[in-house]
Amino acid sequence: MTRLKPARAATTEAFLAAAGPELAALCTACGACFAACPMVDAVGLGAADARSVTDGLRRLARGALAPADTLAWVKACAKSGLCVGACPQKDAGLDAMLLVRIAKQRALNDTRQIPAKQDPTLFPRVKTFARLQLTDEELDTWL
Amino acid sequence: MALGTDRITFWFGCNMLRHAEMIRLTIMLLERAGYDVSTVGGPAYCCGTAHDHQLHAASNMAARTVGRFNEAVEKDGRGTVVTWCPSCHMHMSDIMSPGNVTAFEIAHVSELLAERADRLAPLLQVAVKRRVLLHRHLGFATHVAVNERVAGLLARIAGLQLKQGPAHPGHMCSALAALPGALTAAARGTWDAASAANCDTVCTIFHSCHRELVALEGRDGISVRNWVHLLAEAMGLEGSDAYLGWRSGGAPDIAAIERVGQSRYHALIEPEIRKPPPL
Repeated sequence: MTRLKPARAATTEAFLAAAGPELAALCTACGACFAACPMVDAVGLGAADARSVTDGLRRLARGALAPADTLAWVKACAKSGLCVGACPQKDAGLDAMLLVRIAKQRALNDTRQIPAKQDPTLFPRVKTFARLQLTDEELDTWL
Repeated sequence: MALGTDRITFWFGCNMLRHAEMIRLTIMLLERAGYDVSTVGGPAYCCGTAHDHQLHAASNMAARTVGRFNEAVEKDGRGTVVTWCPSCHMHMSDIMSPGNVTAFEIAHVSELLAERADRLAPLLQVAVKRRVLLHRHLGFATHVAVNERVAGLLARIAGLQLKQGPAHPGHMCSALAALPGALTAAARGTWDAASAANCDTVCTIFHSCHRELVALEGRDGISVRNWVHLLAEAMGLEGSDAYLGWRSGGAPDIAAIERVGQSRYHALIEPEIRKPPPL
């Protein structure tokens, strides 16, 4: 059972806007999250400087421009979660995976350093799969 | 209405709509474990996790979905939302709930079934003589020990020999799809491990892994099943895997295609079910 966090903002959008700078303020840019990440080699960042990459992470989470290595790393995040346990600031309240997620959102929406990839067929496709298989009653009651 | 611990909302997510029998089998398992299940999912219950490029729209989707779950608590006493999808679960835990007042708790379906494994065990009457490799990922362990929960349930099945597969990056295969080579590496790692261990079955945990790996069905004498398929098989129930059949060259019934419309079928469904396998 996961006990949900109490609401601390009126919307998720407002929460994310506040959480980015807060998490960035907790981050010391030590690079432990980057070192623990299993995606680093997969995106050719094995030789990158972990401190520099994570300093870029902090900047991005505050809405400032980040270097290319940081962008490549946050873009590749697959939610493995190893960064969470590796972060020495975890007990202070730093959720490293959430920080990476927010940094990626900033790069998509604020600094626009990562191009948005939209799939307009996502919902039409799953609805069509549903209609191929579900009974009328299931369509009525589940969706 | 007072909260009933056995009254749950089963929130299967969006992409599970490819796998109707997995939804039905999961409901059946939850019911046999003693839960009163109300099932919801699809775009009307979107968590918003796939819309990081549209934060305002995603925020509205999150509010709508949380509102519906709060209503199910108030009107129907369903105080627990049971997830299938790890993306939905993590999004609710980490992003939706800090931005919305929630009147419910969440649990992953594997947790609820593992908690009542003793109640399910007598129902697992049929020996399933398979040598099974569990396809695993590293992610989601931050929230739920899903690999251990599923392995524990499968260990209750008579005749089934279980081997742990390598734990791949990400929380499920879809997280790797955008990175060139990463999905192939995960599929290759699982398949090679299954071959090396002389397994005849690869067991998926999540839907997105299942929809990739079923394209390899039969290769090297290895079948692909989800964990709920295997539990159902042990109960003597057949859960026909339509998606596996389609990815293996089959097609939906013509009446079903007519129901959705030929043009929608050709535009939306065929490209996916005919895409090359990950290996």
